[in-house]
Amino acid sequence: MHIPGTGRMARRTVDALADEAGLVKYGSNEPSAFAGMLGGLIEANVVANPDKRKDFDALAARVGIWVTDIDEGVTLAFDGGRLTVYNGLEPNLTLTIRADADTVMSLSNLKIGLLGMPVYYDGVGRGVALQLMRGKLRIDGLLTNIATLNRVTRVFSVQ
Amino acid sequence: MPVEFASDDWAKQFKDEVNKSNVYKSAAKGWKWTVGLVVEAEPDKNFPEARGVVMDLFDGEARDIKVGSAADAQKCDFVITAPYSRWKQVATKELDATKGMLQGKLKLKGDLPTIVRYTKASQEMTECTSRVPVEWPDER
Repeated sequence: MHIPGTGRMARRTVDALADEAGLVKYGSNEPSAFAGMLGGLIEANVVANPDKRKDFDALAARVGIWVTDIDEGVTLAFDGGRLTVYNGLEPNLTLTIRADADTVMSLSNLKIGLLGMPVYYDGVGRGVALQLMRGKLRIDGLLTNIATLNRVTRVFSVQ
Repeated sequence: MPVEFASDDWAKQFKDEVNKSNVYKSAAKGWKWTVGLVVEAEPDKNFPEARGVVMDLFDGEARDIKVGSAADAQKCDFVITAPYSRWKQVATKELDATKGMLQGKLKLKGDLPTIVRYTKASQEMTECTSRVPVEWPDER
């Protein structure tokens, strides 16, 4: 039986916004819960996975994520191995992703397949593709930045 | 018959609902961590003392769900904390738990990639909560 509090897991918490690995910082004095969550998620992914670390180190882009059903967003400013997370959407974005909370969570659950491409043919992938076709997932800047989007997806995905 | 929120009877019915759910069973395959829910006190809502719900969840099954102190719940691998009235909003489907976490209305502590990987399981767990008929202290 699992015994609570034995500390078996590497803990990376949302409320601990300290920049443990020195990769992520926050552009606002009071990062929103959403900013803290995305920053913590990306940092944990990158620290745990060398392939994601390579993508992270190669990323130079400003990506906005707007969650339509909570009216909140963040800007992820990737700068070759550093990430600054801002509350809200900042100007001059390379990509802007707009979707509801469930779809944003699905994006972070996309599997990564051959050649590092996100998998759109399993259940989660089909759901994301359907939202894109229905216009419920909008990605501004998609056509000219597909490689960047794939790289961001790899860094963002927990799969 | 309705049961008092965050009581032993409530915990038993909640556990039964979780174990009846095939959706949870499938979505939580591989889960092996404890989850604590901290219900913060709101004396003006007739909920005078904080309580903790300790859930021993393993591979799609709720092995045990107990109500204890907030300190008990805080020892779990994952801890979700909110005041009583927020939990009521979640259980009555007025507030979606995922949105609540993104907005900081429910505070989450624990390994983020793991919890994100099991989003569907946590959503179904919320559904299970809403299936337990509850007597709310602030409505007495």
